[in-house]
Amino acid sequence: MPEPTRLRLPIAPTAQGSSPVSAKCGCHAVADRTAGADAPVIALVGAPNTGKSTLFNALTGSRVTMGNWPGTTVEVSRGVWRSTLLTPSCTCTDCSCDSSDEPTSLTVMDLPGAHSLDAHSPDEALTRTLLVDGPADERPDLVLATVDASRLAHGLYLVAQLRELPVRVLVIVTMADVASQRGVTLDPASLSTTLGCPVVVVDPRRRTGLDELAIAVRRILTTATPTPRSTPADDDQLVLDDDRFTWLSAAVDNGTSQPDGHRRTLSDRIDRWVTAPVVGPLIFLTVMWAVFQVTTVVAAPLQQALDGLFSGPVTDAVAAALTATHLQDTWVEGLLLNGLVAGVGMLLTFVPLMALMFVLLALLEDSGYLARAAVVTDRVMRLIGLPGRAFLPLVVGFGCNVPAISATRILPDARQRLLTALLVPFTSCSARLTVFVMLGTIFFGNQAGTAVFAMYVTSVMLVVLVGLILRRTLWRTMGSEPLIIDLPAYHLPTLRLTASVTWQRLRGFLKTASGLIVATVCAVWLLQAIPTTGGEAFGEVPVGDSVYGVMAHAVAPVFAPAGFGQWQTASALMVGFVAKEAVISSWAQTYAAEEPAPGQTGVLGEHVRAAFEQSSGGHPIPAVLAFMVFLLAYTPCIATLATQWREIGPRWTLFGIGMQLVTAWVLAVAVFQVGRLFW
Amino acid sequence: MHTGQSLSGAPLNTPLTLVSVAASPDHAHRLSTLGIREGSQLRLLTRTIGGGRIALVAGSRIALGSDLVRLLRAEVA
Repeated sequence: MPEPTRLRLPIAPTAQGSSPVSAKCGCHAVADRTAGADAPVIALVGAPNTGKSTLFNALTGSRVTMGNWPGTTVEVSRGVWRSTLLTPSCTCTDCSCDSSDEPTSLTVMDLPGAHSLDAHSPDEALTRTLLVDGPADERPDLVLATVDASRLAHGLYLVAQLRELPVRVLVIVTMADVASQRGVTLDPASLSTTLGCPVVVVDPRRRTGLDELAIAVRRILTTATPTPRSTPADDDQLVLDDDRFTWLSAAVDNGTSQPDGHRRTLSDRIDRWVTAPVVGPLIFLTVMWAVFQVTTVVAAPLQQALDGLFSGPVTDAVAAALTATHLQDTWVEGLLLNGLVAGVGMLLTFVPLMALMFVLLALLEDSGYLARAAVVTDRVMRLIGLPGRAFLPLVVGFGCNVPAISATRILPDARQRLLTALLVPFTSCSARLTVFVMLGTIFFGNQAGTAVFAMYVTSVMLVVLVGLILRRTLWRTMGSEPLIIDLPAYHLPTLRLTASVTWQRLRGFLKTASGLIVATVCAVWLLQAIPTTGGEAFGEVPVGDSVYGVMAHAVAPVFAPAGFGQWQTASALMVGFVAKEAVISSWAQTYAAEEPAPGQTGVLGEHVRAAFEQSSGGHPIPAVLAFMVFLLAYTPCIATLATQWREIGPRWTLFGIGMQLVTAWVLAVAVFQVGRLFW
Repeated sequence: MHTGQSLSGAPLNTPLTLVSVAASPDHAHRLSTLGIREGSQLRLLTRTIGGGRIALVAGSRIALGSDLVRLLRAEVA
């Protein structure tokens, strides 16, 4: 079998300057397959929502996140496109290649969406670096520019800029079906003549036109780099723009024909309602309420079922296996049951929640509604310097912080993503809700609901206040960008895209969070298993006498000014660092391990009440309120931290942890010290 | 001296010609890449919350915030 044919084509020298980022080094690659060092590299570029990522997936079989939303591609992905039609010796003009032929491989890069090469956001800057500012010999051999046929002029500005560079350009026209519905007739041949580069019509969603694309790519890769389009000598940007628009207007006139007059589309009719001053916010709130309800209500029984599965049959099976191997009642049992089974089980209970959240996000993205939601919320979010689209991750955070952090990717600006990712943990997730409900019931009786509601109000206030503080300190140089959103046409979400996006995100969550969660749960178990006094065996020590208990004793005085300085509560907060759901089980485990007072065995509420009564000097109400505020504001669970680590890096994750601990402690102390004056 | 009227006062669903863009150079250039520049034809489709508009420009629907809408002037084509 012959070796796959590799093409190596000379690249003409271009602009000066160098950058550590290049098309061929793969510094920013995430999907991370290449066809080999000698294989041609092609870059996919285009304005957002022109089907770029969908085309990338169709060509390479990858599963890059796709969506009907600007900024979906926030990283550069690489994949391998293999086709016999790409082989230079092939003479096919249609798909009639011998299937036994060895296919040729190309490396395909999916670059972030960009309206131009002028870098208005970090993602656009990355595109510019890869195509313009990087070393000439590391630039792609061919640039595929996707343009939307239904708004051709919109995408051709980028093509105009590309044609001014010494690079091979091939224009891929997508959304021809939408254009046809709007009465636009396309003439690819005339368009190609005016643009001075090949034009191919492709439907990435239905995967049509891919063979024609392969043939066109094969041909252009064997031709010399074209001469750049000449531009006015004047450096004035407006003069350059005039020239570009004259050029692209001619291309649109030659390449398309459309009926006179404006036809009101379905998107226009929907937009009339969903962005309207009064109805729009009501629709938005309804959609967000539905998202919140689905993630908190629908996922709950699924979570409970999985929890029951792991704490019941799975635990029983492991216990039976331990008994069969005579390892029961040893430290191995503790490690397996309390560490690994509990840790993996806890992680998997998150999966239904995550999956539902990602499905809903994918539906909102693919339908095109997300862009409208950003318009509706823009004015409110602007108060803390964020654009309207930042509202969605924050709303998602009330269900679970983990997908909310991931959802910050919908923000095109890196600084906005960072600020939002730091604010998300202040939203009260459903895990905290379980603790609030329990404490509310113990301390406030019939008023428990009011206490829980107060925590949600506090959560919103925290997001706004911390956002304002960060905006006026670390983020003070972040300019306030005016609202300019290119609204995609509404689409009926497709099952394939929704499933693909959901799976991609869920897999990312599992990959990142699983190792950290299991490791942390095992570490907590280990600390609880190591005795600090003689005469007690490893794995069979009361929590208070374990290394963990001693650490809790050491930490507890820090919380004394907040009224909850007992070691059991400090211990629960330490476990809460792993997962907020574990706070209650920690109390249950801790109090069960202690010598219970007569008549109070198993009455967890009484233990907790007594502990707060004692530690607060007779002011349990302000103490428990302070505890709830601390629980709300301090570090999120380990899964959230793992996701933050992935999204914003270790430095900002550590900054977030410090900021939240300080905020939580200061607020808790303030609540207790002020509250004790009244209660 | 600018002619025309601010987009915030311009009629909906009427062909307009943009006569001036008083935004900062960066924002003006960004608008330009979207086809919103002096001389371009547009049509305001919807009034959005906060005083913004959705404009139809060369087949694209562009949502513009109220701050920006006040800086763009157009006359009926």
